[in-house]
Amino acid sequence: MRIFFERSGGFSGITMKTAVDEKDLVPDEAQKLREMIEKADFFNSPGKIMSRSPQPDRFQYELRLEEKGRQHTVTMSEEALPAKLKPLVQWLMEKSGQTRKGKGSP
Amino acid sequence: MKPVRYLGIHSIIPPYMLEEIAKHGKPHQRDMALRNLALAGFIRGQRHALGVLPSAAPVGHKSRAVYDCKHKDGQPPTGTLVRKEGGPRSKDVAVNEAYDGAGATYDLYYDIYERNSIDNRGMSIVSYVHYDVKYDNAFWDGSEMVYGDGDGEIFARFTKCIDVIGHELTHGVTQYEANLAYSSQPGALNESMSDVFGSLVKQRALKQTAAKADWLIGAGLLMPKIHGKALRSMKAPGTAYDDPILGKDPQPATMKDYVQTTSDNGGVHINSGIPNHAFYLAAMEIGGNAWKKAGKIWYIALRDRLRSKSNFAGAASATISVAKDLFGSGSKEMKVVQNAWKGVGVI
Repeated sequence: MRIFFERSGGFSGITMKTAVDEKDLVPDEAQKLREMIEKADFFNSPGKIMSRSPQPDRFQYELRLEEKGRQHTVTMSEEALPAKLKPLVQWLMEKSGQTRKGKGSP
Repeated sequence: MKPVRYLGIHSIIPPYMLEEIAKHGKPHQRDMALRNLALAGFIRGQRHALGVLPSAAPVGHKSRAVYDCKHKDGQPPTGTLVRKEGGPRSKDVAVNEAYDGAGATYDLYYDIYERNSIDNRGMSIVSYVHYDVKYDNAFWDGSEMVYGDGDGEIFARFTKCIDVIGHELTHGVTQYEANLAYSSQPGALNESMSDVFGSLVKQRALKQTAAKADWLIGAGLLMPKIHGKALRSMKAPGTAYDDPILGKDPQPATMKDYVQTTSDNGGVHINSGIPNHAFYLAAMEIGGNAWKKAGKIWYIALRDRLRSKSNFAGAASATISVAKDLFGSGSKEMKVVQNAWKGVGVI
């Protein structure tokens, strides 16, 4: 399973990207990720989750998940981020921070 | 009719209670509640709703409040009132910056464009500082300002730059006026208007002419070890930063480099470089203080001519027609504005 994550927008407009491959994770982390994806009901989430009244300068998140021949992409705005997807997005934000500093998975 | 006393009332009755009164009160109570909600800015982005309410007195009404979120997030933000209009300075630099920046923005709009606060009805300017933990952002949530502290590695605190404050509050002005849709070209125009007036707030505070100004957005917001002087450059879009962690400033200066993307609501913070540069070109060719002529042309276009779906070409014709109305057909100012939009390839 592979996840591609992007955060764009915000006042700065600086895009952050990260890719996570399950096979690069330690077993505990891979298990945690599986649980987060399951709890988020990711494959049944709508492709676009946007606010009806968008707030300027909020972040936009794009999450693409690929596994065993299926894939799904969800684009969401920060102010419309559903609670069930929040832990996954937060985890990916931390991951992309680690990657940026060169401490995390390649 | 006896003038309604707005002031004081809205600071006593909390907005949730006003909303209940507006829905369920007797007619005169509902009227009072609606006026106070409008004044406090709790009716979000509904120019048509506000249009039916009487305008506030023509006298300027500067009323600021700053709340400390104490690192909590949430929608709407919550916090403790730490400074209100006329109150003593805080020991917290972020509180004073939010307060002073809101004041400088109010003053530009009131002194130069005769606009009475964000809604032109004297609404209170409410700011929330220390939102969330290490939050790398600032935003206008439809009713109030929200500032993060930054992570301290890439970004410093977002109240640090007066142009960032002017930028965010201008999103409020845009919401009450053209209400530019936050996507693709209208969204990039929305962003550009915020950069234009954010920069003008800074230039006026520093008493700078167009030639003396740095035309940067967010100078000082990036931490010293980051390779970049700011987040955007109106003078030279695409040159504000070039850093191993952040990448390179992606802004185009002209239409030939317009970026098609689904990220960032269709590149609203990217393609804003094009109208930003058009404003820079116009202001430089007019000369003097940019907020006086170029700023006035852009402001009136935003207030009276642009609509929610306006694109770059629409902004070009709106600003050219305002320049014509203000300074005459064939005037230097009109030609300068035309040249500016030609310069960035929009016309």
